[in-house]
Amino acid sequence: MEEALLRAVLFGTPILLASLGALLSERAGVVNLGVEGMMALSALAAFAVAQEAGPALGALAGVGVGMFLGLFLGVFTVSLRANQFVAGLAVAALGLGASGLLGKRYEGVPLAHPLPEEGFALLALGLALALHYLLLGSRFGLYLRSVGENPRAADLFGVNVDGVRYGALGLGGGLVGLAGAYLSLAYRPSWTDGMTSGLGWVAIALVILAAWQPLRAVFGAYFFGLLFFLQFRLQGSVPIPSEAFAAMPYLLVILVLSLSGRTRAPKALGVPFERGR
Amino acid sequence: MRKLLPLVLVLLGLALGQGDKLKACFIYVGPIGDAGWTYAHDLGRKKAEAALPWLETRYVESVPEAQALPVIDRFVKEGCQVIFATSFGYMEAVLEGAKKYPNVIFAHATGIKRAPNVATYMADFYQVYYLNGLAAGALSKTGKVGYVAAFPIPEVKRHINAFTLGVRAVNPKAQVLVRWINAWYDPAKAREATEALLAQGADVFAFTEDTPTVIQTAAKKGAYSFGHYTPMLKFAPNHVVSGQIVHWDVIYIDFLKRVKEGVYTAKNLENVDYFWLLQHKAVEMGADYGVPINPKHVPLLQKAQMTVGGKKVSVYDRIMALMKDMQSPKPTFDPFTGPIQDRKGMVRIPAGKKATLQELLSMEWAAPGVVGDWPGEPK
Repeated sequence: MEEALLRAVLFGTPILLASLGALLSERAGVVNLGVEGMMALSALAAFAVAQEAGPALGALAGVGVGMFLGLFLGVFTVSLRANQFVAGLAVAALGLGASGLLGKRYEGVPLAHPLPEEGFALLALGLALALHYLLLGSRFGLYLRSVGENPRAADLFGVNVDGVRYGALGLGGGLVGLAGAYLSLAYRPSWTDGMTSGLGWVAIALVILAAWQPLRAVFGAYFFGLLFFLQFRLQGSVPIPSEAFAAMPYLLVILVLSLSGRTRAPKALGVPFERGR
Repeated sequence: MRKLLPLVLVLLGLALGQGDKLKACFIYVGPIGDAGWTYAHDLGRKKAEAALPWLETRYVESVPEAQALPVIDRFVKEGCQVIFATSFGYMEAVLEGAKKYPNVIFAHATGIKRAPNVATYMADFYQVYYLNGLAAGALSKTGKVGYVAAFPIPEVKRHINAFTLGVRAVNPKAQVLVRWINAWYDPAKAREATEALLAQGADVFAFTEDTPTVIQTAAKKGAYSFGHYTPMLKFAPNHVVSGQIVHWDVIYIDFLKRVKEGVYTAKNLENVDYFWLLQHKAVEMGADYGVPINPKHVPLLQKAQMTVGGKKVSVYDRIMALMKDMQSPKPTFDPFTGPIQDRKGMVRIPAGKKATLQELLSMEWAAPGVVGDWPGEPK
């Protein structure tokens, strides 16, 4: 049982971090579908830098690449007002492709100095609490939410809508980058093409299921982690085929979170903001 | 003019050499990656190219099954004379492509259907799995050996069974706990499946999937493991005991030489099926190339005893003796020699008989000692 709870937290952590990142920008009205690719490229950057300069700098590099990709997405979604879904998918594809291409020479090498997973887990939990406070208890959070709900009104009150959105994408990207760094520096610890194996998409879905609330994302991510572990722990001891078991985490998380309360998206989510129109 | 003559000759030679090159092209199902199936095939391709000066190769990686035929079209247009398709799922595309291009030679890895211009090939590990099972049985203190497996198909089942027969030959009460992850490549699933087995008391690990995740996870908890497909010693130098290593180059070089010599043509491949084992040097038991057993674990295996034909022998000696036998041109030992019952008590291989190739390729039953879900288990 203890083992299961530990796995819930340790496997839930990358999903939580990536979810928090996507949640932050969505609260500011920008959908980030690039999470999977951002995680992949951050994981590679973290691994490459860690091998050369130590794991601490590696983790920073992961965060840095995540922030950069968040801002890069901002250029299209905020400044150029492109379709956020298309731009996000493009970033996902770009990140996955670029990481596969650039990462060739890092494949098949174990990481020299892995980081402890527990450290990342604590940090992620702390960040979730901080984000909760930031969104609901701080002035910046108020601006950020107002930009996500009604950017025109926020603009009239003197809030720099584009600036806040860039900020949310940058910070959110950093969180996604940290998730990538966790995978290649602690969870796995090595780099392979495609190592994010769809966790980014799970994180995006979790944002919606967690109703854009950081604390519910914590619960959702750990719950997913628990079920993911249990599919293997219970395989063979309960008369359910393993293929059906594999679908269980996804189904149960959807079920529980959809039963746990009303969901309302930020009103301006996915809508590019254009001043003075 | 005389000064130019050598240059002309060299150019002429190059031109002739060019025309004489054999072009072999490879379709890979996954990314070349770090350690798995496609990586091993690519290693084989590179070695073949280095060994055969007249060989020129090309490859395309991460080709989904539905895209295989367009890739074949492209390869033929580019002048490929031999096409290697390295995934079972390419079967339909290969057979269709072979009909469309009757002068091109196809070879299909793990395939089961042949044609005048389609051969099949496989480097199989079941003997090596048995030998590693012997070591695993000797090293497990809990009597529980963990096995993380990709898909419940005959190939993987054959390997689990061979491994389990080995484990049980040393420790007749041991269990092999199997977990299916239903993926060839999914580090997260491999990781959590290993964690689940560790939580259930497994202290030695083997696997059939495409990453070193099981090894890395097991080593964190001090558990022994066996690598798969490529040398994985470097991922846990203190905990990797041995493993299965493939040498696709052996098959590629043999096949391509015969094509070059005109022995194999696009008309006579109907019965060309490579099912190559230890004796053909297509597979190797090893933690690394040329390291059958990690020297750190040799003393433990020398100390461990097992009973063979009423006599006590060290597990290490037994492994080495059987390996030598199975590497010889005429092996006398085979892991699947009867009497073997499945875990339900049904006789699968009668006393004194060896499993036929057909029986090996269609194995669905589970050996005694295998614990866990077993999709497709015969009633």
